[in-house]
Amino acid sequence: MAVDYEAFQRDVTEFAQTRCPPEIRAVVASYRKLSRKVWQPWQQILHAHGWGAPSWPKAFGGTGWDHQQRHIFDEVMAECDCPPQYHHGLRHIGPVIIEFGTAEQQARFLPGILSGDDWWCQGYSEPGAGSDLAALRTAARREGDSYVVDGQKTWTSHAHESDWMYTLVRTSREAKKQQGITLLLIPLNAPGITIRPIRTIDGWHHVNEVFLDNVRVPVANRIGEEGQGWTYGKFLLERERLGGANVAPALKNLSRTRDLIAQELAGEAHRAKREALELRLLLAEAELHGALALGKEAVAAVMEGRPLGLLPSVMKLSTSVSHQHVAEVAMDAVGARLAPRFRRIDGSGPNAEAPGLEWVQNYMYMRVRTIYGGSSEVQKNVIAKQLFGS
Amino acid sequence: MPFTATPLIGGDAFEMAQRLALEADAELSALSEPGEHLAALRRQWDAIVELGWMATLVTEEAGGAGGDLADVAALACGAGRGGLALPLAMCGVVAPALLAAAGARDTLAQLADGTARICVILPDAACDPGTPPLRCGTTLEGGVVAVETPPDPTHLLLATAEGDVLLLPATAPGITRTLSLRIDGRLAADWHFAGVEPHLLARGLAPQIERARDLGALITCVEGVSAMGAIIEQTIAFLADRVQFNAPLASYQALRHRVAEMYVEYENLRGLVAHALRGAASADALPWRDIALAKLRLGEAGRLVAHETIQMHGGMGLTEGVAAIRLARRVMMAEFEFGDRSFQAGRLLARAA
Repeated sequence: MAVDYEAFQRDVTEFAQTRCPPEIRAVVASYRKLSRKVWQPWQQILHAHGWGAPSWPKAFGGTGWDHQQRHIFDEVMAECDCPPQYHHGLRHIGPVIIEFGTAEQQARFLPGILSGDDWWCQGYSEPGAGSDLAALRTAARREGDSYVVDGQKTWTSHAHESDWMYTLVRTSREAKKQQGITLLLIPLNAPGITIRPIRTIDGWHHVNEVFLDNVRVPVANRIGEEGQGWTYGKFLLERERLGGANVAPALKNLSRTRDLIAQELAGEAHRAKREALELRLLLAEAELHGALALGKEAVAAVMEGRPLGLLPSVMKLSTSVSHQHVAEVAMDAVGARLAPRFRRIDGSGPNAEAPGLEWVQNYMYMRVRTIYGGSSEVQKNVIAKQLFGS
Repeated sequence: MPFTATPLIGGDAFEMAQRLALEADAELSALSEPGEHLAALRRQWDAIVELGWMATLVTEEAGGAGGDLADVAALACGAGRGGLALPLAMCGVVAPALLAAAGARDTLAQLADGTARICVILPDAACDPGTPPLRCGTTLEGGVVAVETPPDPTHLLLATAEGDVLLLPATAPGITRTLSLRIDGRLAADWHFAGVEPHLLARGLAPQIERARDLGALITCVEGVSAMGAIIEQTIAFLADRVQFNAPLASYQALRHRVAEMYVEYENLRGLVAHALRGAASADALPWRDIALAKLRLGEAGRLVAHETIQMHGGMGLTEGVAAIRLARRVMMAEFEFGDRSFQAGRLLARAA
């Protein structure tokens, strides 16, 4: 049966406007970094409505929506200031468990992801393995029914508020470094795990170092075959290739920044600066509209089963820089009066932070856009290889 | 397989236009005398008129082909890859749009069959500092400069900021003309008027004039995207071929990344222009905002692609003998057609407030 996408969009919009609590939308609208405290109740609301997992098949409690519906859902959520769903369970490890997990693993792990009761983080990067992820050295050795894991993960987003970490570990040394990697699901309350916050330039706590010191993990927590972890990791990334198609959050930030400029730089005295910033914002907007058009092309391609080619890399490069440009414009609007008040020495409680400081924090946070999810340099390598034919 | 750009609109018309444009470019690039260049442009113009290009958007009742925007866009895609040095957007799109709005059926028929070669003067046409601008009262006085024109123009189609549309014989008493070649090898004319009798076609057409300009901007964007795709292909071919420090330039990551950056700019613009083109073909009202955003991006992305290809061609990038470099000058020139970045930004910001 053909889907009535317009009716679908109306349903989603009505749901978003009526069912997302104002206090949650206020956090999203204020541009602050989200945490489990905001995400979890929203996931519970979505789950109760049957929309807990837009990208999962119905058999596993998902909505069974097609790509066009999922794209509409994501766009509407952003336009209505609803939080994007926390991705580590729903979009990353969940689909891997659905594809490669045993029936027991599916029954054990999927319900908690759907309901929002279990919180997941990703144990991929290490001090010596960033863009070159396959260089990872955290090792797991087999002892009876367990693996014993030793090593260190880093840049682990939300580890401090997570219950589980899906983790790539090395189980053997092979000629090719992509081989001999295994995917384990590790409970973060296991003895031998230490989580330390990393102080990032934005002043928010969202990433951590995770130390694993002789951590015992049951073999039952291994996904798929030993030594095949790289394949599952790639499967995960393939599924995320449409992630950059959703430009709505960036456009939302752009319109917030436009309002900020109008407020912050009202009046004749600020006219020259206001107009200069508005022009820069407009250039970012034009580029985002290009990415928006490419996003629609990408969704259409997936719907028709055509290959995406270089579109995901192009969208990632394009939107990451536009995000940064928008954040820079906001920083230039308020930086002179807020950057000097980054950390209060005096004052506490509600006065602990200067109002509006999130613009400064967000400007610095946005620098990560061109680094995570495949750095710009890696994306350019990918594009060049294809363009040059070698 | 190295990169090959996919045209926004492919097909027979695209293939034919590309072939013609490449041949025309080869002919022009061998000429150094401006007079010879002008004569060649006239022959090339006659050839596209003969092929019916100017009749594309003219209705069948007025003696045209009754085609739509996609038909012209297909021609522009092909023409853009060869940097065709003829005013396709101005004469094939803007002129018929203005003439149709003014109800000038006879002139439309003449445009279509080639007996009229029309130079269109839009509001905000350039004017030299210190010289009197064009004034339109009981007579026409003053002047405009650097107006794109077909060879040997027979008519001037003048649209004013007030919404008047005038049609004048190009040889009317009191009109003087100075021709130049633009940086992209196209023809431009300075027009000076002294006591020229105005022939008013219609009044109150300000919205239609704006629409005509936007159509011109859209087709310029189509040409620009096409040219940029060809530039990237040719840059890649040059880098693969050229050996320095005992290795092809294509093996150096610094250069490969710059080509990737060109491609991202190109793709982003292509998406935007394709979107605007679809909107223009399907919506009742022209999506002026999408077109303005696209033209703004053409300015930004086009400059980057043009500058990078010049840089990566090294010394050869400073010569007129390289096709990619001629295309780069075409893209540079496109910035100033149908509203530059300041113009487009100005109207977008004014109407966003």
